[in-house]
Amino acid sequence: MTEHFDVIIIGGGIVGLSSAYYLGLKGKKILILEAGGFGHGSSGSCDDMILLQSKKPGINLRLSLESLELYRQLVNDWGVEELEFLNLGGMILIQNQQELSIMEDFVQQQQKIGLDVTIVDKNEMKSLQPYVSDRFIASTYSNMDSQVNPFSVMRGFLTRIKKMGGEVRFYSPVKSLQKKASGSWIVKTSKDDEYYSDVIVNTAGAWAGEIGKMVGEEIPVSPKKGQLVITEKVPSLGKTNLWSASYMVTKLRPDLAKDNSPDNGIGLGFSFTRTTDGNYLIGSTREKAGFAKQNSYEALRAVVSQAVDFLPVLNEVHFIRTIAGFRPASVDGKFILGEHKSVPGFFTAAGHEGDGIAMAPVTGKILSEMVAGENNKQDYSELSPDRFKLQSTDNERVFNVVGSKR
Amino acid sequence: MTDKDVFICRCEEITLAEIEQAIDEGFVTVNDVKRRTRAGMGLCQGRTCGKQIARIIAQKTGIPLESLLPGTTRSPVRTEKMEIFKGEQDV
Repeated sequence: MTEHFDVIIIGGGIVGLSSAYYLGLKGKKILILEAGGFGHGSSGSCDDMILLQSKKPGINLRLSLESLELYRQLVNDWGVEELEFLNLGGMILIQNQQELSIMEDFVQQQQKIGLDVTIVDKNEMKSLQPYVSDRFIASTYSNMDSQVNPFSVMRGFLTRIKKMGGEVRFYSPVKSLQKKASGSWIVKTSKDDEYYSDVIVNTAGAWAGEIGKMVGEEIPVSPKKGQLVITEKVPSLGKTNLWSASYMVTKLRPDLAKDNSPDNGIGLGFSFTRTTDGNYLIGSTREKAGFAKQNSYEALRAVVSQAVDFLPVLNEVHFIRTIAGFRPASVDGKFILGEHKSVPGFFTAAGHEGDGIAMAPVTGKILSEMVAGENNKQDYSELSPDRFKLQSTDNERVFNVVGSKR
Repeated sequence: MTDKDVFICRCEEITLAEIEQAIDEGFVTVNDVKRRTRAGMGLCQGRTCGKQIARIIAQKTGIPLESLLPGTTRSPVRTEKMEIFKGEQDV
């Protein structure tokens, strides 16, 4: 007996679960096929932030503000404890005048879009963060940066998807996708189970390209490995979570990237966030390492050395665990959301890189509206899977964004 | 106190009842139980409770114990102070 669903979602990470939740609210009959177990992919190997300050003014910042609102609605509907939602605010630490002037400019642009963020001087920074190193001369501050426990969010979605009659199959990697003459899809898993649906949604994260190939579509998402360190539980070391401007500056002004950074090509950035349980998550790297999920000594040393350099009090704190996950990076730094023009009934919602947790609700909600054929009067062509044009040469394949609007 | 209130994961204080509830919800590997309950996420990183959790899963589901993989292990092997890399030269 082959079951028919309205929508089959491939990938049961936070984006797939969110999509299923919002589609379920619209009365759609859903099946999620997940290659691994619960939280086995990137959504279970990442930090916990709904970080607004790192977003470039434009669609990324606009949608993350909408996503925060949706998280607040979920908090309202489910209760703050279930999501482990915290609103500690965030600060981006600034080391020198050059970083300061770039961040001042960045902050001004963000304020125009509606982000509540300012630059604070050294005294105020120290009063909020008494343990940060004296090397920092100023910092940004926003009271809007928030966080959730990704496992709790995923479990909340999962429970409600099942309550609405949706089905979720773990350890069910998809092997092939075919379209029948009638227009409905046949999805085969490696267990040789077969399912039918009207619509396919590809939320396979770093693996989205593999699913795209099954329908002849090129989806330029590649894995960037992020390694993080987890500390023992300790008393609070500051009022907010922390980042460093140096990493933001390399993203905003790659031309200024210093040769003497201790990076060694591992894409070292600094993030320091406190969980509801009292552990700190300290990150992180962004490495081109394929799908090798091992932790490396080099990255561990770089992340830990940077952390004790920035907050010397950490010398006395134990670390208990390292983790590694694949940030699904799209070539232009924006995620991919929409129906593929040449493959009707095939949608992709992937490529969120480091923003999957932050963007999951808004992605799932918009996706559900697109699948239901509703028009919410917003222009999402910037995110369209059709925005990429493949330029092949003999040795390499280069994707360019066509007709991109800024 | 009943047997169900016994802590299986002492570091995170996760009880037998919580482990069993996760198994009932369909989380039937050591890693999945960990991601659902936090059992094994504490100071000992599952070195104490991992085997017990595998045994509970096996007893409750009938999955043979020997086919249940241990949870993923990652560095550090034991907890270390973060000062440990101080003064280390580049290799």
